[in-house]
Amino acid sequence: MGQIGVESIDIIAVDISGRHKVQGRYEMVCAAVSLHVSPVFIEKIYTVRLLPRLADSLDINMIADFISEACLCLPGTIVAEPGDLYNLEIWRVKSILGRDFKYPETIAERGAVEMAHHISVAGRRLIVNE
Amino acid sequence: MSEEKTAVLLMRESQNKPSDPYKMRELRGLAQAAGYYIRAEVSQRRGRDHRYQIGRGKIEEALSFCPDKLIFYNPLSPGQVYNIRSEFSAAVIDRFNLILEIFATRASSREAKLQVELARLSYDAPQVKSALSMKKRGEQPGFRGSGAYEQSMYHDIRGRMAKIRGQLQEVQSQGEDRRKKRREEGFDLVALAGYTNAGKSTLLNALTGSAVMAKDQPFTTLTPTTRAMPISGRRTLLTDTVGFIDDLPHFLIKAFRSTLSEISEADLVLLVADMSDPLELLRKKLAASHKALWDCEVRAPIVTVLNKCDRLDEAAAEEKAEGIRDLAPCPVMASASTGLGLGVLEESIMQRLEPLQEYEISLPYTSQGLSELSRLYRATELLSVSYEERLIVRLRGREETVARAGLAGGRLL
Repeated sequence: MGQIGVESIDIIAVDISGRHKVQGRYEMVCAAVSLHVSPVFIEKIYTVRLLPRLADSLDINMIADFISEACLCLPGTIVAEPGDLYNLEIWRVKSILGRDFKYPETIAERGAVEMAHHISVAGRRLIVNE
Repeated sequence: MSEEKTAVLLMRESQNKPSDPYKMRELRGLAQAAGYYIRAEVSQRRGRDHRYQIGRGKIEEALSFCPDKLIFYNPLSPGQVYNIRSEFSAAVIDRFNLILEIFATRASSREAKLQVELARLSYDAPQVKSALSMKKRGEQPGFRGSGAYEQSMYHDIRGRMAKIRGQLQEVQSQGEDRRKKRREEGFDLVALAGYTNAGKSTLLNALTGSAVMAKDQPFTTLTPTTRAMPISGRRTLLTDTVGFIDDLPHFLIKAFRSTLSEISEADLVLLVADMSDPLELLRKKLAASHKALWDCEVRAPIVTVLNKCDRLDEAAAEEKAEGIRDLAPCPVMASASTGLGLGVLEESIMQRLEPLQEYEISLPYTSQGLSELSRLYRATELLSVSYEERLIVRLRGREETVARAGLAGGRLL
């Protein structure tokens, strides 16, 4: 019985800020962080992307479009908190997004999603305040 | 088995999600660990019933087995507990209360007892508050209802919680002092973490040659146990901790913070998983363990140990390790009961521990300096000592151990 090597994967950690109504509309910012992670550590950050959007509703199709657009051309599996996708089953989210998706499982994935959350909150503050 | 305490297990599963047989199996294991004899298992696939959580007919079916208690997998609201108790005259608890019951019967140390009491009160406080608010809807005592006599019960609970938190803070700071002292003595701290009943205590016994209580049941260990682990060239202490379990409320993890700090403050964490579990369950348990480690704010490197590998043949074990590759960093396959793979595990621990640094220090030629030298002999790997005007010591050891030499007039060269 021996030792097996560390598995590192490319992921895109996604978080959306501003999912509350402001004057009847949703002023949202989606942060997509493209990273290379091992199960415990974030090994490398490739890209950080911020995408703002004004919307009238928060239905799943709108959220899925928003996430897809934010992750366009970024490599890897999309990782987001279950609450962001209305706790839908993974297979349903995969079929809606049309690409690989998972909820955070490892410590590094949780850390990545937390990072995306801080980035989206900070980005939204900048956009809304200006 | 004694039939003194009997129970029927109930579980409601959502219609939208696939059935999960492991949940009922886990509940059975927990109920048996709490000393219940299981009369029957009743499950139903439906939406949540606001009155009873599960369908009325299913509760009647469960009661036809005449159990002492109904144990629900799903969390019960205070209203649901009240409805089942009053309409069916049945004693009822949910999974969380069952876990607390196990903890309460096994808690032996002061720390464990305080943690269990804090968890119980954290659970009770909002329930008492909601019961009081329901009560307040009727006629109130005192002038214009301001004589809120029952309100003091809620405040008593809050007061007791604050007191326990203070006492636990004390325990935690004692733990911090202990860890600091151990590091100064040159010990590396390694913690065993993992899902409940993964074989952590058996692994501790196998690695350290000690005989702490290890049983094939969940939550055998509640209080951390530390033993010295002889690894070539390193002074290492291995700490066994309480097991994790899925879907636990956040406040329970908070209540056990002082115990879990043994994991978060360790230099290395051994994440133990039961390899004999089916792949899907193994993945679930590993993900739950990662979540718990994330909640504990673990920053130390993690070595995943796939325990009980003797129960599988080599090909099946390799296949299973492949299936959890994205969750388990550098898994080491081992068997605590047969001793298989323990050598590889020790090597892996050695590799992942931070390497010791070389230092050169000078100590005064006084009795204090000589006693410090004697401590360094014990706590570090002494490379050379030259007796000049001052004692010049070249050693390999931990930063904390060398820093303490400064108290005895030592100087880093």
